[in-house]
Amino acid sequence: MKDLLTRVTSTAAEKFGAEYAEVRAQKLFKTSFTMKEGRVEAAKQGIENGVALRTLVKGAWGSASVGSFDTAILMDAISDACVMARQAGLRLKNPIRLAATKAIEDHVQVKPKRNPSEVSIEEKIKNASSTNNVALKSDKRVKSCTIDYFDLTGTSYFANNEGTYIEQDKLYVWSRLTASALQNGVFTFSREEIGSTLGYEIFDKDPPEILGERLAKRAVSQLNAKSPKGGTFPAVLGPNVVGVFVHEAFGHLAEADLALSGGVLADNMGKKIASDLVTFYDDGTINGAFGSFKYDDEGVPAKKTLLIKDGVVTGLMHNRETAQKFNSEPTGNARAEDFRVEPIIRMRNTYMAPRERSLEELIEGVDFGYYFKNFRGGQANLDGTFQVGIQEAYEIVKGEVGDPVRDASISGNTLETLLKVDAVGKDFELSAGRCGKGQTAFIGDGGPNIRVREVIVGGSA
Amino acid sequence: MAVLEKEFMLSLAENTVKTAQQKGAAEAEAFVYEGKATNIGIERGQITKNDRILDRGIGIRVQIRKAIGFAYTNIIENQTAIETTVIKALEAARASKPDNDWKGLPEKKPYPQIEKTFDVKILELHSDELVNVATAMLDAAIEADKRVLPIEGGCGAGYVSNAIANSHGIAGFDQATMIECSLATLAKDGSNVTPVCFEFNAERNFNVNPVWVGKEAARLAVSALKTKQMETKKYELIFTQFALQELLYYTLVNAVEADNVQRNQSPFKEKLSTQVGSEKLTIYDDGLLPGGLRTGIFDGEGFPHQKTLLMEKGVLHSFLYDNYTAKKAGVESTGNASRAGYLSTPNVEATNFHILPGSKSADQMLSEVDDGLLVSYLQGAHSSNPVSGEFSVVATPAWRIKKGKIEYATRGVMLAGNIFELLKNINEVGSNERKMGQLVAPWLRVANVKVIGK
Repeated sequence: MKDLLTRVTSTAAEKFGAEYAEVRAQKLFKTSFTMKEGRVEAAKQGIENGVALRTLVKGAWGSASVGSFDTAILMDAISDACVMARQAGLRLKNPIRLAATKAIEDHVQVKPKRNPSEVSIEEKIKNASSTNNVALKSDKRVKSCTIDYFDLTGTSYFANNEGTYIEQDKLYVWSRLTASALQNGVFTFSREEIGSTLGYEIFDKDPPEILGERLAKRAVSQLNAKSPKGGTFPAVLGPNVVGVFVHEAFGHLAEADLALSGGVLADNMGKKIASDLVTFYDDGTINGAFGSFKYDDEGVPAKKTLLIKDGVVTGLMHNRETAQKFNSEPTGNARAEDFRVEPIIRMRNTYMAPRERSLEELIEGVDFGYYFKNFRGGQANLDGTFQVGIQEAYEIVKGEVGDPVRDASISGNTLETLLKVDAVGKDFELSAGRCGKGQTAFIGDGGPNIRVREVIVGGSA
Repeated sequence: MAVLEKEFMLSLAENTVKTAQQKGAAEAEAFVYEGKATNIGIERGQITKNDRILDRGIGIRVQIRKAIGFAYTNIIENQTAIETTVIKALEAARASKPDNDWKGLPEKKPYPQIEKTFDVKILELHSDELVNVATAMLDAAIEADKRVLPIEGGCGAGYVSNAIANSHGIAGFDQATMIECSLATLAKDGSNVTPVCFEFNAERNFNVNPVWVGKEAARLAVSALKTKQMETKKYELIFTQFALQELLYYTLVNAVEADNVQRNQSPFKEKLSTQVGSEKLTIYDDGLLPGGLRTGIFDGEGFPHQKTLLMEKGVLHSFLYDNYTAKKAGVESTGNASRAGYLSTPNVEATNFHILPGSKSADQMLSEVDDGLLVSYLQGAHSSNPVSGEFSVVATPAWRIKKGKIEYATRGVMLAGNIFELLKNINEVGSNERKMGQLVAPWLRVANVKVIGK
């Protein structure tokens, strides 16, 4: 493989005049299924082999991707990519350049306790089936349960014309579970998501009894919940709501490509934009976390990147192109979903660092507000307007957790909200998730419980 | 670029079905896919990239003792790889659990004629011609106003073909083209930076209008510069297609899919023949719509596409079925099995979700609003409660309507309510239909929606 890939990249440089050329190849095997109320829709297995070629010619990118390792096809594709780059760059005013990186040769191996490729499909189905049974049998009002399971194993290969050659074993295990409950015409909905890069042993930590019970309980507990009041209120956010907030509301703004595209952070480097209590990281090095890997898809080592320290913006997430523009170091955030698409700046594990307070202390300080414990989804705009949908919430009345509240969401301006963080807890959690930015990336996000002086609560009551 | 021949793809599908039967499948289906696309990418005001992708593969679905297995590969030129994939599918079926509701793959039916889904000009387009299309769009945006920054976008031309065969004699081939221009912009005036605005145009034939996309994307961003806050109360809202696409996909479209109905995940379960929407609302799912972005001869199981009446003057008429859910309910499939190329098994999905237009133009719709909001771009619709329809989303930017005219923009306001209540309160349907992915719809106007201001 090394010979083939390096031959392709050197051809681009020597024969077609490319400043830079890289090849990413993958040989991946995926297993997945969807189970609905215990019925397996179809157990699936798939092979995805392919190669992506990318070149920089006169400051513009040209890329081609093919589902083949055939030498002639790859040579043809690299020639095309170089021609296409020239066409793209005809009117380029600001040519693209890349930050320098060290040439690396490495072979990264995974060492799972249980490799998902060696666990039978029967066992994977049986495990999901048990979770399904726990969820559906725990309460009559639980009407549906959907479990998606996915694992991926295999190897990715990276070579560029600067002497880097990396082989990296890939391993992901992921499951998403949703349940709905019904009572007197009220429908509620709950979801859980787990994921790991360690191995199938993730299910030892979250066995069916625990996962199914948690899923069902949350759906049922909302049946008697009320709608939130619409308006501005103080709020305590749970670790996974903080995680989604850090990822959606702040993280995307700290992706250097979006920062350059008019995002609000580009002009705030080194400035204090948040409360002293706020420290954020994007970290690709946490062992086993869903967003971790050793090298990104430009062959750059994944780092632990400090984004905000004690309220001051300290860094952005970069690929080689944006690192050059900001005169900074690449951080290892360039990721491509597969060989069909180009690497773009993506988060890894993004989180808020914990401090000292207990959850009780945070709640005690609120006269009337909301405790947003669990999220449903989130989204943000480049101008810093964020929205996080909430699946589990409670009123806080006179310093105590009160009645449950359903279908709430919170919103606000990211920077304004970061200044309003007035207490940060000590109980840290990191969750697995997926992020969509045209492509899907496996990520982690998290943090402790925090308290915010005010957020906008979207409610119809 | 040469594409795979119809005969090659069909015989590959048919031979694979035979192989699967010989190796022990009680039923078998093969779906052969080819996709080619060329894209020109724009970043921060200039064209910076050009890429092409070729993706081919086969997905094989088999049934053994009522258990379903599926496997796919993107190596189709090699018989050994295909046989290995057949074996993987059989292995998956043997490992899976029997499903007593399984009543067989679909039977062969006559195929309809469809129009305006394939244009050889798109297939033969060179990437330098596509660069010209992107340039026209970009220039139109930049020349419209100095304050506009086109941050991201591009043009793409794509070709997709698929062949399907199953052990009940289904054998179908379809090919399609699409061309798309899109541009995301913001406007910057000193320290005043607007939220991102977006416009696009996608067509099956080579008749996109890149200049219109560029101008509109620029106009929208500039119109979002002047802003004021608004107070929290109920307003009359006009939803453009951008907003409807977001709001309806996770709720109304979800609610008419038989899979969700059968699994108690739809509020419409007991609502057939009852009033569930405003009398102004008539909706078809139309897999045959000429030039529709989801139009095709057959669905993901080779079942013919059709036009299905979903709602007539607000009365719920039918649900959408694939083969499995139809047989479970004892009705005919409506041809709504969808699949993501060769990578997935079919699932129930709308084709062109067509809300029929009314008679009022956009200007007339606006002129009748005394105090309201024009809503296009939503954040967070995917976190709506898909079953109950409760939503709580951010609209940014949105445009304030006063005495029939758009006065200024608002940023970061929230909308909250229940989509199924909202459907009953639609008081006007525009004549300005456009297609946006799955949705084909005009503007809709709704009274009394809660807006949470800042």
